[in-house]
Amino acid sequence: MAKTKSDLLQGTLDMLILKTLALETMHGWGISQRIQQISSGVLNVNQGSLYPALYRLEEQGWITSEWGSSENNRQAKYYRLTRAGRKQLDEETANWQRLSAAIEQVLQAG
Amino acid sequence: MPSSLARSLRTLFRIKRTEREMEREMSFHLEMETEKNMRRGMSREEARLAALRSFGGVERVKDECRDVKRNRPLETLWQDARFGARMLRRNPGFTLLAVLTLSLGIGANTAIFSVVYGVLLRPLPYQQGGRLVVLRQQAPLARNNNLYFSVKEIDDYRAQNRALADLAEHHSMAFTLFGGPEPERIQAAVVSANFFELMGVMPLLGRTFAPSDEAHGAEAVLILSHQYWRRSHKGDPNIVGRVFRMNDRPHTVVGVLPPLPQYPNENDVYMPTSACPTRSSERFIANRNARMMSVFARLKAGVSEEQALADLSTIAGRMKEAYPDAYPANLGFSLRLASLHKELTERAQPTFLVLLCAAGLVLLLACANTANLTLARLMRRERELAVRSALGATRGRLMRQLLTESALLALAGGALGALLAAWSIRLLVRFAARFTPRADEISLDNTALLFTLVVSVATGLVFGLLPALSLRRNLVPSLKEGSGQSAVSAGRQRLRSALVVAQVAVSFVLLIGAGLMLRSLLKLQEVGPGFDPERVLVMRVTANWSKYTTGQQYRDLSLRLIERAQALPGVLSAAMASTYPLNPFGLANGPNNVNFQIEGRPPNPNEPTPQVDYRVASADYFRTIRLPLLSGRLFTEADDAQAPWVAIINQTLARHRWGDEDPLNKRISFDQGRNWVTIVGVVGDVRQYGLNQEPTDELYRPVRQTSGAGNLLVRTAVAPAVMAPQLRQVVYSVDPENAIDQMQTLVSVRHESIASPRLTTVLLGLFAALALLVTAAGIAGVMALTVSQRTHEIGIRMALGASASGALRLVLRQGLTLVLIGLALGVAGAFALTRLMSTLLFAVEPTDPLTWLAVAAALAAVAALACFVPARRATLIDPLTSLRSE
Repeated sequence: MAKTKSDLLQGTLDMLILKTLALETMHGWGISQRIQQISSGVLNVNQGSLYPALYRLEEQGWITSEWGSSENNRQAKYYRLTRAGRKQLDEETANWQRLSAAIEQVLQAG
Repeated sequence: MPSSLARSLRTLFRIKRTEREMEREMSFHLEMETEKNMRRGMSREEARLAALRSFGGVERVKDECRDVKRNRPLETLWQDARFGARMLRRNPGFTLLAVLTLSLGIGANTAIFSVVYGVLLRPLPYQQGGRLVVLRQQAPLARNNNLYFSVKEIDDYRAQNRALADLAEHHSMAFTLFGGPEPERIQAAVVSANFFELMGVMPLLGRTFAPSDEAHGAEAVLILSHQYWRRSHKGDPNIVGRVFRMNDRPHTVVGVLPPLPQYPNENDVYMPTSACPTRSSERFIANRNARMMSVFARLKAGVSEEQALADLSTIAGRMKEAYPDAYPANLGFSLRLASLHKELTERAQPTFLVLLCAAGLVLLLACANTANLTLARLMRRERELAVRSALGATRGRLMRQLLTESALLALAGGALGALLAAWSIRLLVRFAARFTPRADEISLDNTALLFTLVVSVATGLVFGLLPALSLRRNLVPSLKEGSGQSAVSAGRQRLRSALVVAQVAVSFVLLIGAGLMLRSLLKLQEVGPGFDPERVLVMRVTANWSKYTTGQQYRDLSLRLIERAQALPGVLSAAMASTYPLNPFGLANGPNNVNFQIEGRPPNPNEPTPQVDYRVASADYFRTIRLPLLSGRLFTEADDAQAPWVAIINQTLARHRWGDEDPLNKRISFDQGRNWVTIVGVVGDVRQYGLNQEPTDELYRPVRQTSGAGNLLVRTAVAPAVMAPQLRQVVYSVDPENAIDQMQTLVSVRHESIASPRLTTVLLGLFAALALLVTAAGIAGVMALTVSQRTHEIGIRMALGASASGALRLVLRQGLTLVLIGLALGVAGAFALTRLMSTLLFAVEPTDPLTWLAVAAALAAVAALACFVPARRATLIDPLTSLRSE
């Protein structure tokens, strides 16, 4: 139940992370870069706030992690979307679209 | 200790690993960001600083991550609980109703479970109680299933057995104890010195017996039972060392026992064999046929009951061969062995299990009702849930929320139920005491409380799951107006109807059970006892054992008591007898069977010896209890010690041994023909051993010609309780050392004899009434919702010309259909289940048609009423208003 702006933002961030991971498996830094790219810099959150979100999503079972070696042979923690996470993403997307369509109708009507 | 240490270590290890991983992940991020900045042209130092700035406070991020990992599961649970509590507080009506219903269901189960656990399941309070067994010698051909043991037989078993670790003897006698304000009749258990060691019992105060206590000529010692110590000596902590006078000997108290189930009977004190005058006499010890004792034994490790029985039966066989006079063939002498646990619990098992089932059914009903209420509430909360879903709550989250609310309700119901159970435990202990000596072990202890917790949680899941599962995956469409007619509502309505059907079925089963018990009880009460108990007072008078040594002395005592009692104004007649009908002592021990032979019918060694229940009664006994004389005459004063011996028999004995022949003036003998007794009268039968037991063969001998009449009976003109103090005075005036106990009216004796079935009926009736109430409420609730949901439709029909009664019929039909389906299921269920309670019923078949019809009619009537009242509201619907409000 979203009550504050930060809660709403948290929900959005979650969706963005899930969306990013739906396209490919990546590590935390890669996700932050992609989000900056996709949102064209509008969502300028602190990069660090990504990690609590990642940890939370992992607790909920929507993403899973494992250590691997990165492009430049360093040890990095890679995140992957689970099947439950994919389902969640689809549901959230559908809900979001319906809600925003309804709001738009309200705003447009006279 | 070690397991919690391991757990802490594991947690610590996990935390350290998480910290290390966090550190590595964050440094990787910072390095990559630093390198990106360096590629943009910053120096290493500037790049690093920029990376840190855009990351935000590293420590703060780490803290947030730690929070996520640590609190996650508990935090949401706590949130859910707080939210759930708030929602429940906002609906006090629903919450109160639900909690009350659940508390009754859970409380009933907790109470009955305490009884079942305390009596049937809990291990005996002895060391390794499972290895304790009770031995019994039997003569089944002589219809004697407890021959008891003689000293010589016990010695043989002890010396020759290979299967037993140890065995001990036990018998019970009544003695008079002096040293208190009144002479007190006490029941003393005479046991071998190793008795308490065998059972593995440690004393509460003082000590138990030592082998020296058993030696011939040793000082007499006593150990008090816990109940007696609390009852007669108020739990005096300084009781050890006190001296009492009994049997003209001083007895020193050396110990007090902890609370224990007493088997085979309740005893006030325990004494060693050397302190019992009968048991320690030389003649008694030498006589193989002097059988009086019970035997307890402990099996050796690894030996099964069957093996022990085989071993001991071999010894019994050897005895039979070595001493043929002591074991004539027409006895069918054999040995039986049973575990002590089984002996203590067998009688109670059927009743307790039936009650447990009934309580379980009541809980199911409570669950169904609460599920129904929750579903109804859910329909009203749909909007709220839809909004939460749209804003990001997953279906799982919502389900967890609903389940938490249900769990809160169930736990609250469980707490209240535990209180109700605690309050009712004392009554249940008194009820259980009629079936088993283990009743004192029943308590609301940790096991019972754990049971309550488990049942509460399970209940919450059961009635919470149903509504929670009915949540659709996509709730958002309910945001639209007028969604009350959605498919989900129809599904929920069907679910509620199914619950109502189930409730009706379960109620029917419970009602049938209670109805059968009630019918059985009524039949029992209708049984003519054969005598008139009105205004008769009875009491047991025990003379000082050591003062009265001859039969003549006992006779004189009895006659003097009768004379003085008769002289009191207000006494219509007085008598002494060895027993009276429905005597609790008789109920516990059975008939006093004595062998006899009939003149002209020599004994046949191949047939069982004729036996009769031998009684002693004074002349006025029959008049006092209004036992009718059928032929011949009663005893008179002329039938004294110098006159020929006479006896009166009952009708059952007359028919059994003489058929249609007149038994008057026939003669029988109790001592192989040395002395003959003439039958001078035939009286009616009494239900001596229970209203549900057939009368036995009974024979009465006059007090003047024999002795041994210990009960004083008095028929009074006024209420017997008024005469009680005066009668006590009379008894003491004859001999101040007489002890009086078991003083009560015959009416209350009769009442007591059917106490067990009466109480069982009351309990089952309570459950059934509860079930009916809950079911009626459930039906009414569903009907009310139907009416409110179909208001629109009914309005249209009425606008189109349908009458008010037509609307009523429409709604009623829906409700009554449910009830009928429920009844049908209930009939099937009752058919299957009531066969299990046939052992509890008297003169009533489990398929008794009258009961079934009556119950079906009653349930249908109540259900119809529950349908009718809300349905009537359908007739009050104003078509115009209903059409407008949509």
